[in-house]
Amino acid sequence: MSLLDVRDLSIVFSRRGRRDVRAVDEVTFSVAAGETVGLVGESGCGKSVTSLAIMGLLPKRGAAVGGSIKFDGTELTSLPADKMRGLRGRDIAMVFQDPMTSLNPVIPIGLQVTEVLRRHRDMDAAAASKEAASLLERVGIPDPARRLKEYPHQLSGGMRQRALIAMALACKPRLLIADEPTTALDVTIQAQILELLKELVVDSGTALVMITHDLGVVAGMCDSVHVMYSGRIVERASRWELFEAPRHPYTAGLLASVPRLDQARGEKLEPIPGSPRDTIPWTQGCAFAPRCRNRIESCTQGAPELVADKLRPDHDLRCFNPIDVAEQEAVTL
Amino acid sequence: MSLQVAESAIQQAEHADEAGGGLWREAFRRLVRKPAAIIGAIFVAIFVIVAVFAPLIAPYSPTATDLSQIKGPGHIPGPSSTHWLGLDDLGRDVFSRMIYGARQSLVVGVVSMAFGMVGGIILGLLAGGLGGWVDATIMRFVDMMLAIPGLLFAIGIAAMLGQSLVSVMIAIGVVNIPVFARLLRGQMLAQREADYALAAKSLGVKRSRIILGHVFPNSLSPVIVQGTLTLATAIIEAAGLAFLGLSGADPAIPEWGRMLADTQKFLTSAPQLVFYPGIAIVLSALGFTLLGESLREALDPKNRR
Amino acid sequence: MSTEKQQPAGNGRDAENLLSVRGLQVHFPIKKGILVDRVVGHVKAVDGVDLDVAKGTTYGLVGESGCGKSTLGRAILRLIEPTAGTISFDGVDVRAQRGEDMRRLRRRMQMVFQDPLASLDPRQSVESVLTEPLRTHGYGNGKADHAKRVRELLDVVGLPANAAGRYPHEFSGGQRQRVGIARALALSPDLIIADEPVSALDVSIQAQIVNLLEELQEQLGLTYIVVAHDLAVVRHVSDTIGVMYLGALVEESPSDDLYAEPLHPYTIALMSAIPIPDPKVEERRERILLTGDLPSPANTPPGCRFHTRCPFRQPKRCADELPALREIRPGRKVACHYAEDIAAGHIRPAESVHDPAATEVGTPTVVAS
Ligand SMILES: Nc1ncnc2c1ncn2[C@@H]1O[C@H](COP(=O)(O)OP(=O)(O)OP(=O)(O)O)[C@@H](O)[C@H]1O
Ligand SMILES: Nc1ncnc2c1ncn2[C@@H]1O[C@H](COP(=O)(O)OP(=O)(O)O)[C@@H](O)[C@H]1O
Ligand code: SF4
Ligand code: SF4
Ligand SMILES: [Mg+2]
Ligand SMILES: [Mg+2]
Repeated sequence: MSLLDVRDLSIVFSRRGRRDVRAVDEVTFSVAAGETVGLVGESGCGKSVTSLAIMGLLPKRGAAVGGSIKFDGTELTSLPADKMRGLRGRDIAMVFQDPMTSLNPVIPIGLQVTEVLRRHRDMDAAAASKEAASLLERVGIPDPARRLKEYPHQLSGGMRQRALIAMALACKPRLLIADEPTTALDVTIQAQILELLKELVVDSGTALVMITHDLGVVAGMCDSVHVMYSGRIVERASRWELFEAPRHPYTAGLLASVPRLDQARGEKLEPIPGSPRDTIPWTQGCAFAPRCRNRIESCTQGAPELVADKLRPDHDLRCFNPIDVAEQEAVTL
Repeated sequence: MSLQVAESAIQQAEHADEAGGGLWREAFRRLVRKPAAIIGAIFVAIFVIVAVFAPLIAPYSPTATDLSQIKGPGHIPGPSSTHWLGLDDLGRDVFSRMIYGARQSLVVGVVSMAFGMVGGIILGLLAGGLGGWVDATIMRFVDMMLAIPGLLFAIGIAAMLGQSLVSVMIAIGVVNIPVFARLLRGQMLAQREADYALAAKSLGVKRSRIILGHVFPNSLSPVIVQGTLTLATAIIEAAGLAFLGLSGADPAIPEWGRMLADTQKFLTSAPQLVFYPGIAIVLSALGFTLLGESLREALDPKNRR
Repeated sequence: MSTEKQQPAGNGRDAENLLSVRGLQVHFPIKKGILVDRVVGHVKAVDGVDLDVAKGTTYGLVGESGCGKSTLGRAILRLIEPTAGTISFDGVDVRAQRGEDMRRLRRRMQMVFQDPLASLDPRQSVESVLTEPLRTHGYGNGKADHAKRVRELLDVVGLPANAAGRYPHEFSGGQRQRVGIARALALSPDLIIADEPVSALDVSIQAQIVNLLEELQEQLGLTYIVVAHDLAVVRHVSDTIGVMYLGALVEESPSDDLYAEPLHPYTIALMSAIPIPDPKVEERRERILLTGDLPSPANTPPGCRFHTRCPFRQPKRCADELPALREIRPGRKVACHYAEDIAAGHIRPAESVHDPAATEVGTPTVVAS
């Protein structure tokens, strides 16, 4: 039984005088306790909007959420605002890409952490500040007693992100959504934060939704990976299968276009032609068709559905002409 | 649907871009989508039309008196079918005076704003463009001017220059110089550090050309927004100075601030006389403010697609 | 990029070097004070860098944010005035050039910027962006030549000819970067310094720009300095890589050798931290986690710059003696007192090191993930 169940999620932004934007459509995935699920895709593909929808943080006006989001059996899309507020921070927490925008710049870090503890865990002031210090210690912030008194701008980017994770952990959430938590950070700091998140999943059985554009991050920690393009999931598989033999041309294209540290130099990279802006609406066919090397006639005659791969069990694909696994292996050899 | 559809979709996307055009055109397109901008523009347009065509619109001369309506000393007739807004204490048609008053107010607003803006741009350009000791000197001077409360400063200048409408306009203009200077200079300092200015430097473009050709034009939009907002405050400040009796204009020539000042003694007996110029000042200032604020949003690069 | 052309550094063939930098420093004063500014210290953004770039090769610079990569790149072009050191470009002493001479020298050294939108004047059409350098340096005879050159440049960077009339905000990120590259190429320079040329771009676009840079190098015989924080990208494009830490080079190596055997403890940690898009590799890798953050460049630690975070730190020398960048093998330079012992495996990373003096720093640990 999974903890979070997202089914056929669609999010449409409408603004007067503009065409409606269908930012997310037909997104289905689930996360169980102790599991890490990755959402990967380039900027603008709908990752952040999906996470905001789960958190109930989309604007009430102008954003229409369709489909169902079930958390531990409770339907979130129709949950009253006050109930949602109760869940948020206590059972579901989120870490944002930019730590500065999600911390209050005029309140010391310590007060921000203790406030969460007092509100959601009914602690008194003394207990809360003790717990806050131990949380900061746990996320690897040295000298926590001093840091608690400091303001967000006095911390480095990496420390701010860790403070934010500490706040997210303050309530021992059952579900943690991390939206590009390390994109703004250096690799050495990124490694620290990812290690922290992995520990959290293993030690407390938290369910983790890891949102990123970095395939390397996904390869190291996600049990299953969902690749998104233009608002829809185009491929879903375990990380082992996905990286071993990607079947969707977009996934394969992404993998071929990033240089790998551990591979011999000298070979040319194989970029995906065009840019993510070159799409066609899903209603007219496959949004990736304008950039796809595997495109066939039917790709622009109707939209492909996300269906189980014929060749492999437990691997879903949204593609009319996926990459041949045999051909793939020939390439990798 | 076929493969060509995909290609044409890309082409369409590219064509949509081509319609883009320059930055100002884009900003204008964003501007006309804002309701606040439209309301502001309507207020401003009414104000300008009334001011320009005052002789055609006003039913009476602003100085003509109609003593037949005055039934005795202290009697101030209210609105009637012949005098829509009634008469003032001297028997002049208030509606006509309001319409002619728009002229004066517009002139005061535009001239004092232009004075302040040109002065501010010159100082800001020198400070932001040359930097170093020029910048330091100008900025100390500007800081000093800013340290004096605006209205007090204007009163001082107006009093020094003697009672006249011109001195009111100069006073208000001078008070606004440091605001513009500071804004432009700050913006230029930021833009000078921008990558495109660095890129021009790395191409060997001359410093004067970088400053005048790149940095200055890219620093102007907040100054223009400020100009629109200043028009609003200038009208109010001019009213304030007139209210204090510093405008010294011919009392026969109507001006909203002066009308407000002259009629305050009838506040209890004929409150409408105070109300009309008051509301006119507020609405025209509001119009410019709405327009200015919308312009600020429209010009903000963050709001670009 | 062109491995066969690469010259191992330091073998006395300086004539082949297009660019030689010695002892370059950029110190930014920290000012305080209400009426009169007082200098209360210096941010040592670049603190004594030596490097040589051979003609037609690519030199990659990597390091954490704030370590001084961009500042070094800009100082070489004198977009920021260096505090000390010499820069010799094709035999010309760059720092000695004044006024008009410097302006003319600039046509031979160009820059590509990280943020393609910010590096283009929003009010300039692409045509105007590309003709500006031509006008500035009096290229050809008038408008017709300029228009022809603009078409050539657009073609070379793979943009359609109708791009000339459009404005920067009307392009996608990748296309904007192409405009930036076309501008850098306008005056046929010899050296291009590319500061994070792909990091602002979408993943699928990055490879397009990387390939374009490589093709241009082959066609035009360009020399590059590529600055980036993404070691995988830098390794892909570079012949030689310099690793920077707190304003100084801590290691310099041919790029093939760097991954195979990093020598400096910082490089070792950096390499191990970079995720690789392959779960099998990720599961096997041993990760050396650094704790703490980069110390402030206004207050660099004494001795070895890295000693506050170094998992290999030794009780002797590390905290009080600055290691020089020395060549321990042909082509391989490293600034660590114990590089040989670490390479030979005599010194292992500590499970737990704690420096009570450095409060910013916690406990380096080794994690097998
Ligand atoms: N104009 C300046 N005045 C003062 N300090 C500066 C200035 N420019 C840069 N610095 C400082 O110099 C150091 C190096 O900056 P630099 O921009 O070169 O880093 P970087 O390695 O390019 O980092 P990133 O990867 O984030 O681009 C930083 O500590 C920075 O804060
Ligand atoms: N408030 C909003 N109004 C309209 N469109 C939006 C809004 N927020 C996001 N979008 C659009 O939704 C799409 C997905 O955005 P997002 O989820 O932020 O992408 P990412 O995958 O980079 O996180 C984009 O096309 C974006 O422009
Ligand atoms: S459906 Fe067609 S166009 Fe889309 S990814 Fe598959 S092969 Fe390519
Ligand atoms: S000199 Fe010492 S502290 Fe510095 S890198 Fe080498 S071992 Fe580490
Ligand atoms: Mg996002
Ligand atoms: Mg930089």
